[in-house]
Amino acid sequence: MNNPLNNTGLVFSLLLVPEFFAATVCAQQNTTGHANDFSSVEYFEPPHQQQMESRLSGAEARPEPGGMLVIQQLRLETFDTNGAPGLIVKAPHCVYDVVHGVASSPGHLRLETADGSSHVEGDGFLWLQANQKLYISNNVQSAIEAEPKKKTGL
Amino acid sequence: MAWLILAGGGCLQAQTNALPAPARTQTRIDSESAVFDLTSRHAIYRGNVRVDDPKIKLSCEELTADLPQSGGHVDHLVALTNVVMDSVDDKGQTTHATSDKAIYDYKVVNGVTNEPITLTGNAKVENAQVILTGEPIIYNRATGSLTATNQHMIFKQNLASALASTNLPVENLPVEKTNFPPVATPGVDKSSINQPPP
Repeated sequence: MNNPLNNTGLVFSLLLVPEFFAATVCAQQNTTGHANDFSSVEYFEPPHQQQMESRLSGAEARPEPGGMLVIQQLRLETFDTNGAPGLIVKAPHCVYDVVHGVASSPGHLRLETADGSSHVEGDGFLWLQANQKLYISNNVQSAIEAEPKKKTGL
Repeated sequence: MAWLILAGGGCLQAQTNALPAPARTQTRIDSESAVFDLTSRHAIYRGNVRVDDPKIKLSCEELTADLPQSGGHVDHLVALTNVVMDSVDDKGQTTHATSDKAIYDYKVVNGVTNEPITLTGNAKVENAQVILTGEPIIYNRATGSLTATNQHMIFKQNLASALASTNLPVENLPVEKTNFPPVATPGVDKSSINQPPP
């Protein structure tokens, strides 16, 4: 997993700007050169190569020079090798380096377990796609519940 | 967390809380920065780390933890550098503990819960009655038991006075019933027993 592009379905279901990516369009484009509902998927190494390891998505992605994407409403999800959801990272915005698989932002971030029972918040982050490490640089606040939240069925 | 040494009017024995734990089950961990491995859920908190648990408050410079699966129990914590723990039991007795390192583990084996906290490096536990040092000091949060190796205990108040406020007969001196028999243990500073604190 040294090269973040190896397993990356940088098959961006995205579909940014046509002149940048001539991929299948799964997101809505507009005339200003950015795309809506973008996502990028990374898969596990064999033997779990069919399973998603992480999925990076955003409500909007705007390409910047140098292979950067400015993403609004970032959502990063991780999965176990059995497909079960793991952790979810949410941020209002970030810059994603497509080539190196690095996302960062000086802004706020929220990390939570898939069942919502525990969460971490902080300001300023760096995510390395290659090793799935997330660095939060300031004001880290975690809350861990001893028991999972009851589902209300509502 | 019920560090209860010499509580109950002179009973030199760690006791667990008699009442059920508070309903609150959330543990808060705050720090200046942190690193999370999103695959293994391993977290390292750094800088002015503060843990606020229903039973204990802890501060240190670095704390490693594994985020639980699906809201399960945190099963392993390692606190490093200037570790300070404070707790208040159901009777309102406060206990203060310090060390260079503290390791907390949570395991359930055959239905039995074990929650040992191992203090090492200048480990010291103190409450209103005694000051205990040892290397290591191990407190089992699940059972309330407290053990120490190479222990050294200092009573802050006269033991007879402490017993006078209880129904314990003199022959039941608590020091003979605990893990800390100062008379039989090498290295114990006997002169410090029954002496007021410095």
